[in-house]
Amino acid sequence: MEQLKTIGRELAMGSQGGGWTGQSKEFLDLVKSIGEARSKAEEDRIILREIESLRRRIAEPDVPRRRMKEYIIRLVYAEMLGHDASFGYIHAVKMTHDDSLSLKRTGYLAVTLFLSDDHDLIILIVNTIQKDLRSDNYLIVCAALTAACKLINEETIPAVLPQVVDLLAHPKEAVRKKAVMALHRFYQRSPASVSHLISNFRKRLCDNDPGVMGATLCPLFDLITADVNSYKDLVISFVSILKQVAERRLPKAYDYHQMAAPFIQIKLLKILALLGSGDKQASGHIYNVLGDIFRKCESSSNIGNAVLYECICCVSSIYPNAKLLDAAAESTSKFLKSESHNLKYLGIDALGRLIKINPDVAEEHQLAVIDCLEDPDDTLKRKTFELLYKMTKSTNVEVIVDRMIDYMISINDNHYKTEIASRCVELAEQFAPSNQWFIQFSVSNNFTFQTMNKVFEHAGDLVNVRVAHNLMRLIAEGFGEDDEGADSQLRSSAFNIELLFLHSELEFIYGNSTHIAAKILNNILCNKFLKMVNSYLRILGEPKLPSLFLQVICWVLGEYGTADGKYSASYIIGKLCDVTEAHLCNDTVKVYF
Amino acid sequence: MVRLYPNRCQLVGSAFISGFLISLVRSFIHFVILISRQGKVRLTKWYSPYQQKERSTVIRELSGLILTRGPKLCNFVEWKGFKVVYASLYFCICIDPDDNELEILEIIHHFVEILDRYFGSVCELDLIFNFHKAYYILDEILIAGELQESSKKTVARLIAAQDSLVETAKEETGSISNMISQAM
Repeated sequence: MEQLKTIGRELAMGSQGGGWTGQSKEFLDLVKSIGEARSKAEEDRIILREIESLRRRIAEPDVPRRRMKEYIIRLVYAEMLGHDASFGYIHAVKMTHDDSLSLKRTGYLAVTLFLSDDHDLIILIVNTIQKDLRSDNYLIVCAALTAACKLINEETIPAVLPQVVDLLAHPKEAVRKKAVMALHRFYQRSPASVSHLISNFRKRLCDNDPGVMGATLCPLFDLITADVNSYKDLVISFVSILKQVAERRLPKAYDYHQMAAPFIQIKLLKILALLGSGDKQASGHIYNVLGDIFRKCESSSNIGNAVLYECICCVSSIYPNAKLLDAAAESTSKFLKSESHNLKYLGIDALGRLIKINPDVAEEHQLAVIDCLEDPDDTLKRKTFELLYKMTKSTNVEVIVDRMIDYMISINDNHYKTEIASRCVELAEQFAPSNQWFIQFSVSNNFTFQTMNKVFEHAGDLVNVRVAHNLMRLIAEGFGEDDEGADSQLRSSAFNIELLFLHSELEFIYGNSTHIAAKILNNILCNKFLKMVNSYLRILGEPKLPSLFLQVICWVLGEYGTADGKYSASYIIGKLCDVTEAHLCNDTVKVYF
Repeated sequence: MVRLYPNRCQLVGSAFISGFLISLVRSFIHFVILISRQGKVRLTKWYSPYQQKERSTVIRELSGLILTRGPKLCNFVEWKGFKVVYASLYFCICIDPDDNELEILEIIHHFVEILDRYFGSVCELDLIFNFHKAYYILDEILIAGELQESSKKTVARLIAAQDSLVETAKEETGSISNMISQAM
C-alpha cells in the first residue's frame, strides 16, 4: 500500500522519473505532449499526427534497426491509446526475425500486443517461434514461449507442440515454467490436441524448482475442474506440498509480506477444495493441514486474509468437519466485524458459503449483515443482496423481497435490474408453500401481488417471461381452489398479473385449452374489468410503461372499454391511437388493438 | 402444476453446455489496465479476446466506474457480470465473479513492488517513459491470464539477465561502429 501512495504522491508532484533509457528526444517530447494535452481531442490530434509521421518514415528503405525498434515502440504506444497502427504490424513481425535479443524481444512484445491469435500475419511468426524454441540462448527460448502463449491457436499448436514438450525438461527453470504455462494455454485452446500429454503436468508437480511447481498448479486446477475423479490419487501429494509450504520449507524468495508462498498456498487450497468436495475419504486427508493454516495465518495483512478466505472456501466445499467449520465461522466473524470494506465483503461472501452447510450461522451475524445492506458502498450492498437471496426462508421472504424491490427500483444498471427482478420472482415462487399460504398471505398484507405488480411495472420487459409465467399460473391456480372467500380487490390485483402474461402467451394457452385458462375466463367479472378500465386509462398517459403491461392494457381497453357505455368507442380508440404514436416501434402492442 | 413449457429444461441445459465450452478458452484474469487519476491510459494487457473498439469502451466504462469511487470503499466492483479489482493509481484487473478478490489485490501489489524494485521507487513517469519495460515485467508475472511467478527475486533476476544481454548487444554495436568510423 505504501508504494502505491508514493506513486500517487509522485503523480501529484509530477516529479522526475528515474532511469529512462535509450529512446530519442522525439519520443520524450511525444509522451510529454500527450501528458500535457488538455482534452481527449487534443491528445487524439497529437497521436494521429505521430502516426502519420511514422507511417512515412517506417516505409523508407534502410531504416537502421535501432530506429525501427523505436518506431515500433511508438506504434505500440499509439495503439494502447486506442488508435490504429496496423500498417506497422508487418514491421513488428520482421523484427521478431532479428538475431539480436534486444530487437527480437521488442518484436515479440509488439506482436503479442498488436495481434490476436487468428490474425493473418501469424503464419509468418510461427516459423520464427519454432526456430527460437530451439535456440541455445535460454532468454530467446523464454521470449518465444511467452509469445506462443498469446499467438498460438488451435491450428498452429501442432507446429510447436513437440518442441514445447521437450522444453519441459530444459535445464533452466524459467524455461520449464514457461513451457508448462504454454502447454496449459494450448490445453485451454484445444483440449484434444494436448490430452495425451497430461501426464507431463503430473511430472512437473514434482519439479525441484518451486516456481515450476507453482506454475503447474494452474493447468492442474483446470484439469481437476473438468474431471475430478482422475486426480483423486493426487490428494495426498497436494496435501504434502501444502504442508511443506506452510511449514516454511520453500526458499525465502517465495515469502510475501511474512507469509510463506501465499499465492501457492491459495492455488493448492483451491485444488483441494475441488478434490475433497463430497468425498469423505479425500477430505479426511485435508483436515489437518487446513487446521494448521487457520492457526498460522497472519490476519493482520491483506495476503494473510486472502489465504484465510481461501481456507474458509475450502472448508465449506469439502466434506463437513465440525472443528474446521467453527474455525471458519470465527474467521468470518472477524471479517464482518472489521473496519475494512474489503474484509466485510469477504465476510459476506464467506457467510454465504457457510450457511449452505449450517443455516443457523447467519443468525448471530444479522446485525452486521444489515449494516452492510445499508452501506453506501454499492459493491458491498450487492454482495449482501446475494447473501440475502441465499438466506431466504418462508419466514423472512416478504421482508427480503421487499428490500430487494426497493433496491431494484433505485438502480439504473439494466443488467443488474433484470437479475434482481428475476430473483424476486423466483423467491416468491419458491417460498409459496401452498396456494393457501399465498391467498392468506396476500389477504393480510396485500403484499405479494402489489409487490409483483411493482416488479413487473418497473421491469416487466426485462423479467424473464417464463419465470414470471410460472408465478402467474401459481396465482391463477390458487384462485381456482378458493375463490369464494377471496377478497375482491385481491382478485383484481392478481388478475392484473394474470393478464400481463396471459397476453404474451394468449394463443398458446387457448391452444392448449388448459383448465386454468377456462377458470381464468370464468373468473372475469365485468365490474372488475370496468374498474381496471378506469385505472388503465389513467396509467396509459404515463411514460415508459413496459410493453408487456401496455399490451395488457390495450387488450382490456379494446375488449371492455365500451362495455358499460361510459366511454364511447371513439374515445377509447383515440386514446389507443395516442399510444400507438408514442410506441411506433413496438408492433406487438399495435396488434392488441 | 400444468407444464406449459416442457422444453424449458432442455433450453437451460444447452445454454449451460455452451457456457461451459466458452469457459475453456477464458482466462483467470481477463485483462490488466493501468489508468491515471485523470483517466489516461498507461498500460493495457488483454488476456481474453477484445476488439480494438471494445477495448476503448471497456476503458471508458471502467474509468467512469472506478475513478468516482471514494477512498474507503471496497477495492472491488461488479461490472457486466465480471468483477474488477483495482488499487490506487488505478491498476485494474478483471476477473470472474467466483475468484478470490483479495488475492488479486495482492497480485497487483506484488506487481507494483516488483516495479518499485526495478525502477527504484517507481513513479508514474517511469511507467510512462518506460512502458515497454513495464510490459516485460508484467509478462514475467502473468502469462495467459494466470500468475506465473510469485517470487520477486526470480522475476528480478530474469529481467536483469534480459537487460544485460540487451546492454551487451548495444555496446557491441556501439564498439563496432566506433571501429568502423575510426577506420574511415
